[in-house]
Amino acid sequence: MLSVAICGAGGLGTRHAQNFRDIPEAQVTLVYDVVEEAAAALAGKVGARVASRESDLFGDEVDVVVVTTPTPQHAYFTIKAAQAGKHVLCEKPMCRTLEQGEEMLEAVRAAGVTFMVGHVVRWFRQYARARDLIQAGEIGEVGVARTSRINTMPSGRGGWFRDYALSGGVTLDMTIHDFDWLLWTFGPAERVYSVGAQRLMPELDYALTTIRFESGAIAHVEGSWADTGAFRTCFDIAGTGGLLRHDSTRMSTLTLQRRAAEEGRVGVQVPSSPAFRSPYMMEDEHFVQCVLTGEEPAISGDEALDAVELALAAMQSNEAAGEVVELS
Amino acid sequence: MATRLSIMSFAHLHADFYAGAIAALPDVELAGVWDDNPQRGKDAAAKYGTEFFSTPEELFAPENEIQGTIVTSENVKHKRDVLAACEAGVHILCEKPISTNVVDARVMIAEAERAGVQLMIAFPCRYTAAFGQLLRAVRNGELGEIIAIKGTNRGQNPGGWFDDPSLAGGGSVIDHTVHVVDLMRVLLDQEVIKVYAEIDTAFNPALPCDDAGILTMNFEGGCVATLDASWSRPGNYPIWGDVTMELIGTKGNASVDLFVEHVDTWRSGDGSYLWEPYGDDANAALIAEFAECVATGAPVPITGYDGLKAMEVALGAYRAAETSEPNDLPLP
Repeated sequence: MLSVAICGAGGLGTRHAQNFRDIPEAQVTLVYDVVEEAAAALAGKVGARVASRESDLFGDEVDVVVVTTPTPQHAYFTIKAAQAGKHVLCEKPMCRTLEQGEEMLEAVRAAGVTFMVGHVVRWFRQYARARDLIQAGEIGEVGVARTSRINTMPSGRGGWFRDYALSGGVTLDMTIHDFDWLLWTFGPAERVYSVGAQRLMPELDYALTTIRFESGAIAHVEGSWADTGAFRTCFDIAGTGGLLRHDSTRMSTLTLQRRAAEEGRVGVQVPSSPAFRSPYMMEDEHFVQCVLTGEEPAISGDEALDAVELALAAMQSNEAAGEVVELS
Repeated sequence: MATRLSIMSFAHLHADFYAGAIAALPDVELAGVWDDNPQRGKDAAAKYGTEFFSTPEELFAPENEIQGTIVTSENVKHKRDVLAACEAGVHILCEKPISTNVVDARVMIAEAERAGVQLMIAFPCRYTAAFGQLLRAVRNGELGEIIAIKGTNRGQNPGGWFDDPSLAGGGSVIDHTVHVVDLMRVLLDQEVIKVYAEIDTAFNPALPCDDAGILTMNFEGGCVATLDASWSRPGNYPIWGDVTMELIGTKGNASVDLFVEHVDTWRSGDGSYLWEPYGDDANAALIAEFAECVATGAPVPITGYDGLKAMEVALGAYRAAETSEPNDLPLP
């Protein structure tokens, strides 16, 4: 039985905690958060204890630390946990700076622990399916791949998502999902060019990024924290032999409409596509299997850092207004 | 008396749309056709019940009383045909792109001015109801300041001379950049000052021209934009392509998908699935406006200068792609 400690009781900390509670080989034993009430609330939900001190995370009873803090703290907790011999599942983005990422990789390698970054989009089946189709040559050589990931401006505790210095804005925090998927699917990126509206944070953030891959494929990546509606994604991938397209707004297997209970209240419509196993659950199950068997996680630390590097390069291009950033 | 228009060349497939639009307009008449491919011209003249002339001079002979002409020749021949119309004192609606280089475009604009004829460029997307409404919303400030636009004008490779850079001046980028850039210019009332592009021959490696292009533009007021000008739709795609824009403003967002209106149509006979369109006919509205300007002398709403500014972005994109560096506009 793996003993799992959750470090950071926010939205994703909660999701992972619930998953690990439900995985037979794992048990959530500790929840840590700088805000003790938040830790207590989550610990109560999943039958865990509150870690009153940070150092409890690294005690003998813990096998796995799940790092779900704001991005700039990922490195600190990952390194501490690795040094204490804990396996680490860290939320994306892996880190706020490349230096942090290098130190994290060094620490987990030196400790020989299992380390994975939660690029959960790899378990979203439309993305996995598209990649499989591409790898199987179903649309030939890819010429132009377009992705969009669109949301309202998130807040986070204390509004940390809205602080560019902390979250890196939409590009580092959310678009990184597409960067990871693109790198996973098309291989290394050669250069990147990005424009956007970083200057308007915290009201909104929006970026349009063009990537040229060493394979020759061109990607156009839209990242939006400027929307007013429900979260949505789409992709349109054109190759010499065909086209793949997916639009999340058109793929709801179930829509529930609730009639307004009182006069003057508007009813809500909640589209969804329920699945027997959520992508987050598959991700966490995969991580547990890797820890138990010692096999390499599907997402290596190097790959996670490559995605950060691409995101930071796009942000650099954007900030410099007109710089084409070459990737090493 | 009906307004008498002519068509110079049926090389561009839009010539058929325009001839059809003329036939549908009550006060406009297709009074003659010239084509440097005589058979193509004769076939078109027969199809639309008009006369074929074997030279531009014969087409524009005084007795034909041609008031305006539509130039739908291959891109590199626009200049030749526009200058012939100028010479004859006939107003011109020129297919996009205006030409394939800045020098020719400037000559065309100057010659039209000197001859006292109007030179209009065919940007029919301006004549869609959706764009009209979007433009009003933007001008009324409903979206606040526009800070970013994501555009697409994707299509299928039209084939023929469109693949031949010596006739088209390029491939998909010169073909598909100008429509959406024109719409962006109108929406923002600003010019592009910098363009970057990734361009390639991606979908049919045997082509002598590009068929994939992603452009990134900076407008003078700070708005940024991208445009997908690729022939990336496969041969069995259910419609020719698209013209879309997503606008991000400080007060709100908007999206337009100008040719999305369709009935999904599956034909069991040939196994096809197609979008059968039912939206307004933008080409007809464009032709009606041109005919109106010819008849009344009102200034054409889309000028040669508009055509030049849109084409410059495509040419700048090619330069940027060659150097992998953003290219400043206007071009020298």
